[in-house]
Amino acid sequence: MDEGKLSKTQIVLTAEEQKKLDESFGEYLVESESKEIILLNKSGELIAKTGDITSDAAVTVSALAAGVFSATNELARILGEKEFTVTFHQGKETNIHISLITPNTLLAVVFDNTAPIGAIRFWAKKIGNTIKGIIENAERRGSQKPSPELKKELKNEIDNLF
Amino acid sequence: MSVINFARKEISFKIVYYGPAMSGKTTNLRFIYSSLPGKVKGNFTTIATETERTLFFDFLPLELGMIKGFKIRLSLYTVPGQYIYKLTRKSVLRDTDGLIFVADSQQSKVEENIKSFNDMVENLQEFGENIENIPLVLQYNKRDLNPILPVYEMERLLNKEGKYQHYEAIAINGTGVIASLKAITKLVVSKI
Repeated sequence: MDEGKLSKTQIVLTAEEQKKLDESFGEYLVESESKEIILLNKSGELIAKTGDITSDAAVTVSALAAGVFSATNELARILGEKEFTVTFHQGKETNIHISLITPNTLLAVVFDNTAPIGAIRFWAKKIGNTIKGIIENAERRGSQKPSPELKKELKNEIDNLF
Repeated sequence: MSVINFARKEISFKIVYYGPAMSGKTTNLRFIYSSLPGKVKGNFTTIATETERTLFFDFLPLELGMIKGFKIRLSLYTVPGQYIYKLTRKSVLRDTDGLIFVADSQQSKVEENIKSFNDMVENLQEFGENIENIPLVLQYNKRDLNPILPVYEMERLLNKEGKYQHYEAIAINGTGVIASLKAITKLVVSKI
């Protein structure tokens, strides 16, 4: 897919893939001594998260991280760069590393300030490489359409949701 | 684009409110936030200047309820309307499932509406996307003000071929806000 184009990729995760993601994130959270690991797509939707962060907070972090990433890439294009694949924010107590895993998926890893930048980069890359295959499968599945019955039911029931 | 999670039984969509500066995009989100019950809505996040004008975007996640065992989530965004934030608007538009164009009905805002609509089309084109392929609902806001354009004039300006559904609105008191949201939700759901 060309960078800068609207992504047409829908992500469809199975229960098994979700379990694998959760397991990997759980292991890496301990191993890397990170505080949170959040997986999101470029449109800002939360895909998976591990750590103490609440679901509500993770949803907001996903929207903001995707926004920051997208805005940074407008900056990249102005500078003649195709895309920045990593965005890093350093604070007094907390750092966040946001990196591109597939053309549509971003990984945000939050560390406290004791972690050296080299270690942060190392772990972000390692986690990304581990889950890349799972995400690519979920993206391939995204091109399949859900059942017409589900679509019909969804459309008919929308009124009841508001 | 939407995410379907079979493990969590969730489907999520991204909807963007687009339109000229001060047309009422943030007001739409504020009304939705104030009128829906707590369990439905997440945190309302706004990145604004000191004068309360939207700088980056407003964000409101909603968890509407269950359909056929699937939890339906909507992520609502607004873009900054001010002309100088063109690139910011473009970045918020990325991977959108549906659009609500909030037009200002005041007679004095005709040009701004057209300019903003064209800006939206151009931004989508720069992503390689065609406006024809994205669900879009028009909201003619500020129907309580005077002087405003009659609806048929608004239609002539923004919806010549009558392709899009339109809703009259007074976002400040909620008129037409939920109707527009419902309409775009139906359209994005039928696209998955």
